[in-house]
Amino acid sequence: MTSATRPALPAASERRRSGSIAWHVGALAVLAVVLYPVIWVVGASFKPSKDIIAGLDLLPAEPVWENFSGLADGISGISISSFFWNSLVYAVLAVAGVVLSSSLTAYAFAKIRFAGRNLLFTLMIGTLLLPYHVLLIPQYVLFRNLELTDTLVPLVAGKFLATEAFFVFLMVQFMRGLPRELDEAARLDGCGHLRTYWSIVLPLSRPAIITSAIFTFINAWNDFMGPLIYLNTPEKYTVSLGLMMFRDQEGISDYGSMIAMSLVALVPVIAFFMAFQRYLIDGMATSGLKG
Amino acid sequence: MTLVKDAPVRPAGERPFPPAAARHGRRRENLAGYLFMSPWIAGFLLLTAGPMIASLYYAFTSYNLFTPPRWTGLDNFTTMFQDPRWQKSVEVTLEYVVVATPLKLLLALGVALLLAQRRRGQGLYRAAFYLPSLIGASVSVGFVWRALFSDDAVVDRTQKVLGFDAGGWIGNPDYVIYALVALSIWQFGAPMVIFLAGLKQVPRELYEAAEVDGAGPLRRFWNITLPMISPVLFFNVLLESIHAFQVFGSAYVVSDTRCGPADATLVYTCYLYQKGFKEAQMGFASAMAWTLVIAVALVTAVLFWSQKKWVHYEEAAK
Amino acid sequence: MQQGGNVERRTILKAAGASLAVAGLGATATACGGGSGSGDGTVTIRYAWWGGEPRTIAIRKTIALFEKKFPKIKVKPEFTDYEAFWEKFQTQASGGNPPDVFQNAVGFLRKYDKRGVLLDLKTQADAGHLSLENFRNGVLANGQVDGKQIAVPVGANTMALVIDLNAFEKAGVDATFGWTWDEYFDALQTIQDKLKIAGDTGYFSIMYLYDLYLRQNGKAFFTDTDLGFTEDDLTEWWEDGFKRVKSGLVADPKKVEQVKPKSALSAGLAASEFTWDNFSIRYEGEGESDYGLAPIPTTDGKNTGQYLGSLMLSGFSGTKHPEEVAQFIDFMVHDPEVGEIMGYDRGLLATTEQYEAFEPTDPSNKGVAAYEEEVAAAGVLGKITPHPSGADVIEAAFLRIGGEVAQGRTRPADAAKALFSEAKAAFAG
Repeated sequence: MTSATRPALPAASERRRSGSIAWHVGALAVLAVVLYPVIWVVGASFKPSKDIIAGLDLLPAEPVWENFSGLADGISGISISSFFWNSLVYAVLAVAGVVLSSSLTAYAFAKIRFAGRNLLFTLMIGTLLLPYHVLLIPQYVLFRNLELTDTLVPLVAGKFLATEAFFVFLMVQFMRGLPRELDEAARLDGCGHLRTYWSIVLPLSRPAIITSAIFTFINAWNDFMGPLIYLNTPEKYTVSLGLMMFRDQEGISDYGSMIAMSLVALVPVIAFFMAFQRYLIDGMATSGLKG
Repeated sequence: MTLVKDAPVRPAGERPFPPAAARHGRRRENLAGYLFMSPWIAGFLLLTAGPMIASLYYAFTSYNLFTPPRWTGLDNFTTMFQDPRWQKSVEVTLEYVVVATPLKLLLALGVALLLAQRRRGQGLYRAAFYLPSLIGASVSVGFVWRALFSDDAVVDRTQKVLGFDAGGWIGNPDYVIYALVALSIWQFGAPMVIFLAGLKQVPRELYEAAEVDGAGPLRRFWNITLPMISPVLFFNVLLESIHAFQVFGSAYVVSDTRCGPADATLVYTCYLYQKGFKEAQMGFASAMAWTLVIAVALVTAVLFWSQKKWVHYEEAAK
Repeated sequence: MQQGGNVERRTILKAAGASLAVAGLGATATACGGGSGSGDGTVTIRYAWWGGEPRTIAIRKTIALFEKKFPKIKVKPEFTDYEAFWEKFQTQASGGNPPDVFQNAVGFLRKYDKRGVLLDLKTQADAGHLSLENFRNGVLANGQVDGKQIAVPVGANTMALVIDLNAFEKAGVDATFGWTWDEYFDALQTIQDKLKIAGDTGYFSIMYLYDLYLRQNGKAFFTDTDLGFTEDDLTEWWEDGFKRVKSGLVADPKKVEQVKPKSALSAGLAASEFTWDNFSIRYEGEGESDYGLAPIPTTDGKNTGQYLGSLMLSGFSGTKHPEEVAQFIDFMVHDPEVGEIMGYDRGLLATTEQYEAFEPTDPSNKGVAAYEEEVAAAGVLGKITPHPSGADVIEAAFLRIGGEVAQGRTRPADAAKALFSEAKAAFAG
């Protein structure tokens, strides 16, 4: 305190500490409200099935385990793990498809000067506006004619064909933000576009690619309409379809197991998200704001 | 964001090829471009353009999926504009878009501002705030939402404390739309992340300079943060409005699949879905879909037009 | 995970080839697949139904039984819940790709007959692949349209009034066969006065109940091609209903809505609800009270207007294996062991062989059996009236518009007008 050269330091650090406490208190308060419904779902998974619908209590009066233990027996003769496996295969293929096809397309838009590029780009952006439902029936007829219903092909074909315009857009933005000198140098060294794409641009675009992967994984994992329309064999059902099997409009529904399974179904998405979320901001950042 | 601003792509500083090699080079570039684009082109033709043309055709036919479409001209559109349920669905959707989009973005921005500060456990907070968006519009979200907004549940009790006694929202046609709005707001993860990305790119020096000038936090937000993130804000507004116009899943689960009570949560796509997939009126449903496409395109155009007035793009020269 | 492994390998291969396959659309579109026959004469048929886990487990057992007795026929099961079933079915059928055999209901028969989806089982019966004998109480007629047998009943059910036994007992009211609507509403009034809960959950939105009421009065909900009542009839029905909502005799629609998907009866909001008798098992599973079946109120003190409805099995007209489909249906409706396994899950067993093979032991099934016997003994069972194409859509519209009336959102007269206008579109579709 006696030193005149650094008078502000202790006070500043104190201010920082109290500011930090206020910040955590504020963040936790908002978080409590936001997470309340999640806690309700967790609580409900320990309630007897009868108490779940229109149940008012956050937590069960007496927790029961049967909702979870019942999952081990499967549903309607199908093992629960088969739903999870199918969802996982779908989500992983979807991620692979989106990453591969969108990055190729984005590279062309961002790094290759070819005739008609602007027109194609405008068309691509235009598809962002289309409601999914417009395309549903004609697409169904197409896949049915190709004898591809009851497979994952209709669900992932679009992903492998870069129809997810949002991700193409994200990657175009990102790639255009990369220092031009890098890929130009590579091109002058005699690298073809494929080499430049594969060894220079793709590795550098990691944040945008991972961001697309996260969103794709979540969307595929939660997709209900696609599997509902295309999958017929219960053994091929994904988690979102499997959940509906606990429901019975004419008899007894097992809401307890339904909630328990939907909770278990959250684990893979959370794990995937936690593993990659630190790239999320970077992926969005460089693509979102480049001027 | 550049591409949105000046949609025709104009990558700066591309060097022209030496004249001798120009033609050859250009042809090679064209070939490479189309090769790289080939997945997208195949997807566009088969999965987007083809089905779009098909549905555009259906919009002018009577088509029950079984017998071939029969040309009926503008019948679907005239029936639609007079259909009270269609009008209701437009009303519900507009209310949803107008109320939910700003509130969701406000919350997303607020939390993003909170999380943009460097604090311990930042990643964990970010993940926790993102959690609701991971759940999606699943059946269990439907259950929890219906429970939370019922009589005597937490929302009802809270509003009574606040001196506002509307009872449960879920069964009440006047209020259930707000339960839907609440669900949309709750899943604010995606715009939050986009805002965070934008905030991260605001140069520190600007704030430091403003602090030296004695600007308070509010001034700093208004004069620096907001203009600097306005492209991101624009992007979020655009994306979220388009999504809001197309909302389906959350209305479906919150209303326990019926988009009721009394059509109070009959959002546009829910009606489209009922008409197309339950009643097999594909012609009518296609007409609805195309009307939606046009409406969304108009809204997008207006947003683009408006951005000149409020979106500040960084100059290309750094 | 064995089976999962297969899924993966196949899907990856297919996905890898997806671009090629899709790109080569023109070439492959005409390729004929089918693939349901194989070298050794074994055929595979797809069998689809809706329902909950108990039904599915039972049906799977019956399939295993069938495959043992018919080793040359493999059955591929497909099942889901009711809503999803019909959406999926419609999409598949329109693409020419429905299951070979599937569960069907009265409201969908003419719709899919009109669209040419249903196999005429009469020809199969004539060829000796399927027996149309031994059906109880004439339910076989439920599957006939224009002289064709397009569905075969597996069970028989009828509308009933499910009551909260404890509430009725506490209020000291009795439900007796032949009681009139006035007596019924008086009973509800007593319950409301004594127990402070509503009597009913919203009877006036149930199409199949209004059908009974009309039948009691010499009409029916449908004629062959149209609605069998007038806008004024329906206006009156909904006006009375709305009056009873306002007086609290019928439960508050806001509360009924917010306990869904639970029934308002099992949630304790009301003391009775009209539904199909074989659905009554649901209340025991959902609610805290005891529930029983009571008779449908009448207009004249005798006639309930009831008939036996059915869940049925139908075949796809374009199936590659009509003979096997017929054999399968025959087995499913006649084999006594199948009857023993299925019980009354889809209503009282339709054929005498199966009916005699199953002895109900639990109170729920016993109740259903006793109820249908009582109805049959009273001699009130009439013939089912036709359900034109579009009946399913109209049933949904009736429920929805009735709900708007209950909420006070639509005046009964406007509501009736709306229903007529939607019905017109549904018949045309």
